Amino acid sequence: MFRIQTEPISPMPMEHDGAGGFVTFEGKVRNRNDGQPVLRLEYEAYAPMAESEGEKILNEAKSVFGLLEVKACHRVGVLEIGETAVWIGVASPHRGDAFRACAFVIDEIKRRVPIWKKEHYVSGPSEWIGCHQSDLVDSSHELYRRQTVLPEVGADGQAKLSAAKVLVVGAGGLGSASLPYLAAAGIGTIGICDGDQVELSNLHRQVLYAYGDNGLPKASVAATRLRRQNPYISVVEINNHLTAENGEELVGEFDVILDGTDNFATKFLLNDLCVRLGRPLIQASLHQFEGQIMVVDPASNGGCLRCIWPEAPYDGCVGTCAEAGVLGILPGAFGVLQANEVIKVILGMEGVLHSELLTLDLRNYETNRIRRKKYQNCPNCGNGHATTDCLDLTAAEAFTNGYALLDIREPEEWEPIPILPGHRIPLSKPAELRQFVGENQPCVLVCQRGMRSAALVRELRGFGIEVYSLIGGISSL
Amino acid sequence: MTVFVTYFAILREQRGLNREQIETRASTYRDFYGELQERHGFTLKVDLIKAADRGEFVDLDSTISEGADIVFIPPVAGG
Repeated sequence: MFRIQTEPISPMPMEHDGAGGFVTFEGKVRNRNDGQPVLRLEYEAYAPMAESEGEKILNEAKSVFGLLEVKACHRVGVLEIGETAVWIGVASPHRGDAFRACAFVIDEIKRRVPIWKKEHYVSGPSEWIGCHQSDLVDSSHELYRRQTVLPEVGADGQAKLSAAKVLVVGAGGLGSASLPYLAAAGIGTIGICDGDQVELSNLHRQVLYAYGDNGLPKASVAATRLRRQNPYISVVEINNHLTAENGEELVGEFDVILDGTDNFATKFLLNDLCVRLGRPLIQASLHQFEGQIMVVDPASNGGCLRCIWPEAPYDGCVGTCAEAGVLGILPGAFGVLQANEVIKVILGMEGVLHSELLTLDLRNYETNRIRRKKYQNCPNCGNGHATTDCLDLTAAEAFTNGYALLDIREPEEWEPIPILPGHRIPLSKPAELRQFVGENQPCVLVCQRGMRSAALVRELRGFGIEVYSLIGGISSL
Repeated sequence: MTVFVTYFAILREQRGLNREQIETRASTYRDFYGELQERHGFTLKVDLIKAADRGEFVDLDSTISEGADIVFIPPVAGG
């Protein structure tokens, strides 16, 4: 609970049997400010908004740091030297989280809660100063000065950056590198979408996170870091993975999308959504010491990811970072290149990789630029084809949604031991198949590698049936 | 016919080098990949591979011409 009060603050009781660490903070009125002796301080708050914003901060701290309890209050009225102006108490199973949460809460209160103060000096009172704005007075111009002198940026360009909304999907290695530069450049709204928690094995490449962040939600930690880095921008955290269900709404909210994901399923989902919604997508993929970067811009003729690979390859066919290994610097290099493309797209600059794929190998600095164009049979960009409608699901998505599974392989392909709990109707019995999918919507079709099921899904969707294809088929399980 | 070929990612790992000059009688990129697959034990099926020649993506079933500078690109996911 967050309280604004006129009476003197006394520490609130904090008790919790599950807490191993209690940390409290008291902010007091001190006798000097800016080299001048201070007699007393006066605080004023817009109480309803201050209390609701304060409450929000406490809830954020609770979820980010896994707190058991958190309380705070702020005094208003005239305060003498040595009196307590703000009090915060947190309780957490471990001391590290308690210390960090306490620092987070006071920083965010100072930054966001509408409280004003007036300092009474010997020489007379000062003006009212917004505590939440005191650090921000007129410094944004200074913040971007070194880039606004560039003729390609200028005041107009800076205004475009600050009006832009950029969504970074995946706050891993690529996101760690791109996010701080996007924030530093003054992108007005940055969305961070990631449902994962920080793990120790991430830290050699995901440099947004510190050792002590282990186990905390990535999107929240990243958002807090960016808000401190640049208080002029708005950072939206989405503590979920991008899925076929939330994807359209999410992507639709932003102007430019940066793909920082590490699996084919999400890369292709994001590609399809961006083409359909007309959003430029900055895409990068990595392997050990080398990577590829390209821009999918539906307004260009360069085509999309499916123009190169019409069917999404199944995850596991080439190894992920976890299996194949990756040099920590590689996502750093590529994430920075992605941020560069984001800024070029927003500024409308030349040289965007919308019709090329750029490869770079950090072992020997070999680069390749391969020209891309729309592929006539691409399910997204091809002639006369409607765009695919997120036809593919991963096994995890299929199972968590509880959709019926239907194995469409021929009997001779069936393993001796049934590995799927679902039903089996081979592709060679189309009438039976049609009837089943019609009566069991939505269901997920499964074949050996996901090719036949995807083709059938496309056909069935034409009849308005809600049906999905398991990416990579049985081979991906 | 002599062609240059460059490998990426898992193909480079399995071949053990970046780039080489090769004598081939294959007429299409698909056949050429098949030859290499047999010789070097590439695990990726041809359907998962993209080919580019002289800086441009090409159809696997189109014909290889003299002076080809081929790049085989497997799909890459990591991030």
